[in-house]
Amino acid sequence: MNKILTSFNTFAFILLFLSFVFSVFSITTLKVDETQSIKVNFYELIESVEQPKRLSEARPKETIQQADLNKIEKNSEVKKSLDFKKYKLNKPDIKRELSKIKLSKEREVILKISAIIQDKISSVWIKPNSLSKVLAAKVLINLAPSGEVINFEMVEPSNDKFFDESVLIAINKISFFEEILGLDRKLFESNFRNFKLVFKSSGEIE
Amino acid sequence: MKRSLIILFLASSNIFSILEIEIIKGSDSLSKVAFVPFGIEENVNENYGEQISNLIEKNMLLFGEFENLDKAEMLSFPDSEEDFYYRDWKIMGVDYSVIGRVNSVNALGNLNISYSLFNINRRIKILEGEIVGKENNIEGIAKIISNRIYEKITGLKGIFDTKLAYIVNLDTETYQMCISDIDGKNEQILFTSAAPIMSPDWSPDRKKIAYVSFENGLAEIFIQDLASGERESIQTLGMTNSAPVWSPDGKSLALVVSFSGNPDIFSYSINNKRLVRLTNHYGIDTEPSWSPDSKKIIFTSDRSGSPQLYEINTQSKRKKRLTRDGNYNARGRYFPDGKSIFFVHGNEGNFQIATKKLSSRFIETLTSTSLDESPTISPNGNIIIYATKEGSKGYLGGITLDGKSRFSLPVKNGSVREPAWSP
Repeated sequence: MNKILTSFNTFAFILLFLSFVFSVFSITTLKVDETQSIKVNFYELIESVEQPKRLSEARPKETIQQADLNKIEKNSEVKKSLDFKKYKLNKPDIKRELSKIKLSKEREVILKISAIIQDKISSVWIKPNSLSKVLAAKVLINLAPSGEVINFEMVEPSNDKFFDESVLIAINKISFFEEILGLDRKLFESNFRNFKLVFKSSGEIE
Repeated sequence: MKRSLIILFLASSNIFSILEIEIIKGSDSLSKVAFVPFGIEENVNENYGEQISNLIEKNMLLFGEFENLDKAEMLSFPDSEEDFYYRDWKIMGVDYSVIGRVNSVNALGNLNISYSLFNINRRIKILEGEIVGKENNIEGIAKIISNRIYEKITGLKGIFDTKLAYIVNLDTETYQMCISDIDGKNEQILFTSAAPIMSPDWSPDRKKIAYVSFENGLAEIFIQDLASGERESIQTLGMTNSAPVWSPDGKSLALVVSFSGNPDIFSYSINNKRLVRLTNHYGIDTEPSWSPDSKKIIFTSDRSGSPQLYEINTQSKRKKRLTRDGNYNARGRYFPDGKSIFFVHGNEGNFQIATKKLSSRFIETLTSTSLDESPTISPNGNIIIYATKEGSKGYLGGITLDGKSRFSLPVKNGSVREPAWSP
């Protein structure tokens, strides 16, 4: 009995280990790292939700086969039952659709607030004449849930003193992002508690 | 388990992937500067304090690059750091404040002036200086202080001590070659002629001017020394010569020489008076100008059927076409950094000043008037002055490169043409 138990335990452990290995590999397919922008991140979020769909794709076919086997003759009934079964079987899909809608809604909110922040900064940033130089500076902003700027730090300066200075002056002019107020707390924490502003001298890519 | 792991990971991935918001567009507004009247010591003429801050203010506002705070709106008039409170200026939306003090006048009539510049948004003093100058040269002192302030705010070289050369047509029989300070003051007439004068250009040391004069019946290039007023003709081979442009190293002139009626670009060495042919084409090659490193020359040629800009390497003689948009691109000049050019772009009968990055295909028109010509750029690359017309009268207009400011220079008697900004 003990032997059986130990072998069962070993088997269970192996199974657990394998599932862990599998899960680790499935994580790497997400390829999310800190340099990625929100756009990429959200697409991948949606993709990861979509992933199981491939497995469920086979299901409607099965139901058709089942329906065939049942030899329901009246077309309308077949359709009805198929529709019904499809509906029933696709229930997880609806969940997925709903989460997708939720994600895209969240994304919309994030984009909307990002656009407001963009406009606000643009309206106070007095861009210096950097001649033909292509410059970029990144600033990390730290916000309170009230929208107050708690702290900011130039994390990637542009190597042009006056360009960097113009950026710091612009951020110094803004102490509040009122738009943040009333934002879903989870959304705030994951997106606007810390975010980066990337100032560019031109839209060109070098 | 797998699912929970993924969710965990997603939750954590949100922490790692930080939202990035890109800012490319800047504000249309200008930096606001407060020029506080300078304080004065007891034994100093009490007008000096206000006079010097007014002169600095006038310089700084000359090209519309800044906005000022009206003195009536100032909440305080500090003349030292101890009396300076950032909140007084922040509340008025000021970005920078200039304060100063005229400390003393000694027996020789020398003024001692101290000044400071504060960045209000960053709450730091960014400049502090002291200058000693003659009482009768208060304008010169103000120019030096203005340059230092301008450099600290913009990161670009100050231009308030530069000069402008230009041609004035008083009437069809009176042409004048003139120079003045960049603010239009201290105008000097270098040469007056009954025949046309054209194409003035400064030597890099600002001591000489080269120009074309028709006084002897055909186009002839003269170099005039500004200190002595002496003129020297560099008539080469008895042909018509035109469009002289000094190389930035001061050793040569690029010019156009026309043998048997066909103009080509040549380089003329000033020391050994040697002429080197650079282009040889049956089309018209004209309006040369040097790249800042003196290695290349930009010129206008109609070799493709319409006036377009080309570039030639003076050593390898290799040529490159620079413009393709439209059927009129002429009078090209390099920006001080050599990476962009500006020129006159013709479009459906309108002639406007345009710029183009050499690395890009696109051109950008800067001006909105329709008969713009002869653009010249400030040595710091931030302002272009050009000649334009209202009716038949020519005047000088200007624009900053960001397009925020457009201005016209004070109108003179007669038509003003062909401005040339000194180095």
